[in-house]
Amino acid sequence: MTNKENLLKGLVKENPLFVSVLGMCPSLAVTTSLENAIGMGIGVFFVLVLSNLIISLIMSNPKLAELVKPVRIPVYIVVIATLVTIVEMLMHAFLIDLYKSLGVFIPLIVVNCIILGRAEAFASENKPVDSVLDGIGMALGFTLAIALISIFREFLGKGTITIWGDAVLNLNFFFNFLKIQPIAMFIQPVGAFLSFGLILASITAIGNKRKANLAKGAKANG
Amino acid sequence: MNNGLKSGLVLLVLGIICGTLLALVNSFTAPVIADIEEEARYEALEEFYTTADYDLSAVEVNEDTTDTIFVLRNKSTSDIEALVYLVNAWGYSGDKPVSMLIAINQDLSVQGYKVVSHGESTGFGADIVENDFNISDISDLSGFDSVAGSTLTSDAILGCFGVVQNRASADFGGGLDD
Repeated sequence: MTNKENLLKGLVKENPLFVSVLGMCPSLAVTTSLENAIGMGIGVFFVLVLSNLIISLIMSNPKLAELVKPVRIPVYIVVIATLVTIVEMLMHAFLIDLYKSLGVFIPLIVVNCIILGRAEAFASENKPVDSVLDGIGMALGFTLAIALISIFREFLGKGTITIWGDAVLNLNFFFNFLKIQPIAMFIQPVGAFLSFGLILASITAIGNKRKANLAKGAKANG
Repeated sequence: MNNGLKSGLVLLVLGIICGTLLALVNSFTAPVIADIEEEARYEALEEFYTTADYDLSAVEVNEDTTDTIFVLRNKSTSDIEALVYLVNAWGYSGDKPVSMLIAINQDLSVQGYKVVSHGESTGFGADIVENDFNISDISDLSGFDSVAGSTLTSDAILGCFGVVQNRASADFGGGLDD
């Protein structure tokens, strides 16, 4: 696999959220605003890229890999937990509003299946550069996916899109035009499941249509 | 050496490295976090009084139930006009106590209270600690009965007020100077 493929596969083709359906709990819980999604994305980016790099460095040394193999899961957890704790401390110190807003979901990055999954499935068997590119692609794919869900939920639920801090796009004119109120349900947990389901169904429908068109094209060409 | 033992040693070394790294990060984030919490407390005091009108000082008590007492003195007479207590009591959460700022006037009436931090569960627990308990109707702390204490969370609120109730008269009467 080329470097470009390693980087890009996480964005669409192997998107961790919409294709592998991993890391659902934090994704559904924090997507009440775009700001939360970006914050969670930054945290996951930092942890995923560095954990992939460290684990790949450990496992690319044959002697060390031999020793680590029987205790590899505890090793992954120690590395990931350390990185998550660093993210938590830095957010608490320098991004206090985001820290309060994300709450318990920052420490829960430790048990995010995407991170442990990439460590076991990719970083432990590939070179450090490839692992870093994979981490960047997966983290960007995850961030894009939760950003999409949060835009959908926040717009329908509040009529706004909170980009960061006070930078808020007010789109209430849409609801004023329709003479209805924003649908607050979309900010609630049930709205998270509904939004995820609707977006996933749309993506699957588009994918199926594309496949059908490709098959049709191939048949026509002989 | 046995392979299992070697693997365990590798894990131990990794743990030591990670622990050292965390200690390093903590050494520069902890002071910033402490400053943020201190600033938040002083901002909370502004909700009760205009602190610029008083001589404000803080007495560190560092007991289990009482953390700090903010003393607001009259600028000309130096008499204590109000005390704001930072107190803790345990509620439903076993990890984190309910921590409250309770502002008391000289006549022992309650100026207000604010929950600074708590580890109560979201929903029901959080609703209880964020209730206002008709604080504006409490004219005398010695007869405080606004909270029944019928759940562990409300018990913590009651506990916080109880701590203040037990010591407010003595503190206004010169106990803090001792």
